[in-house]
Amino acid sequence: MEGFLSPLWCIFWWLVAVPCLILGMKQLNRVVRSDREALPLLGVTGGFIFLLSSLKLPNPFGTSSHATGTGLSAICFGPWVTSIVCAIVLLFQSLLLAHGGLSTLGANIVSMGVAGPFAGYLVYRVLKDTRAGIPAIVFLATATADLVTYTVTSLQLALGSVSPVNGDPTTAFIVYLGIFAIPQILIAVLEGAVLSLVFKYIVALRPEILIRLGILTETKISAAREQV
Amino acid sequence: MRIRYGLEIIVAVVILLFFAAFLYAGMKSPDTVFPGTDTVAAEKIAGPAGGTVQPLVPQWIPPAGMEATLFALQAAAGGFCIGIVFGFWIGQKKTSAGGQ
Repeated sequence: MEGFLSPLWCIFWWLVAVPCLILGMKQLNRVVRSDREALPLLGVTGGFIFLLSSLKLPNPFGTSSHATGTGLSAICFGPWVTSIVCAIVLLFQSLLLAHGGLSTLGANIVSMGVAGPFAGYLVYRVLKDTRAGIPAIVFLATATADLVTYTVTSLQLALGSVSPVNGDPTTAFIVYLGIFAIPQILIAVLEGAVLSLVFKYIVALRPEILIRLGILTETKISAAREQV
Repeated sequence: MRIRYGLEIIVAVVILLFFAAFLYAGMKSPDTVFPGTDTVAAEKIAGPAGGTVQPLVPQWIPPAGMEATLFALQAAAGGFCIGIVFGFWIGQKKTSAGGQ
């Protein structure tokens, strides 16, 4: 939302976002140079960020919001590369749709492109060597990425909005959680379910890319094919 | 017992439940217009008087019809990428299966 974060906080979030984007560019260059066959997978994961972040879904709380689609990219390429794809999507939305804004772009990159994907990636890394099934792990990772994005957005507004709700950041955080994160739970579940299905098809069609990128081992691929 | 399309069935059920919940909310309060969460938050920030001074304001806001078109364009771009790649992979798989 253009103009709803105070200028100092806008600068702060830009300062956090820029190093992440630089790291993301470096990793993206490495992927492009080392494994060109992984590029279509990058296209698919980026395509889902484009697609899901454009669909405003209504929820039973009487509001509407969109999924992020970042979890899949975070699992496949890590959070830093995901931040680059998100930056492109968010720039498109802020320039053409007045959705977000240039001053708040840094904050939006941090919430949707860094914090959410990082949380999803962490969930995937922690769970991938456990006995949990791959669809369940992908579900949890992608749903977490979605929910953390909106939790961080609530935090950003609570800390730096131009007119703090009730003047107290803790109360404001709870208010914004109620607006952004709680209604998002159902959308996160939906996103997790859809992306775990997409991951199943990626495993079925191009498992060798996932093995080369170190996302899954051959044993895990065989197990994933047996599950569900 | 392993169900062949188990995950597909689960996802279909989740999608149906999601839309059932939204339809129920719509029926319970027919006047609900489902505003975006960012709009709700903006109203909260502006306060009841709407008197908050924004240091920056958007220089251009697309008209409602154009906004919907641009969102659709964004969705189409994403869908195009996904369709092309999955189509390419499926084609490759069929070709390699046919060659063996």
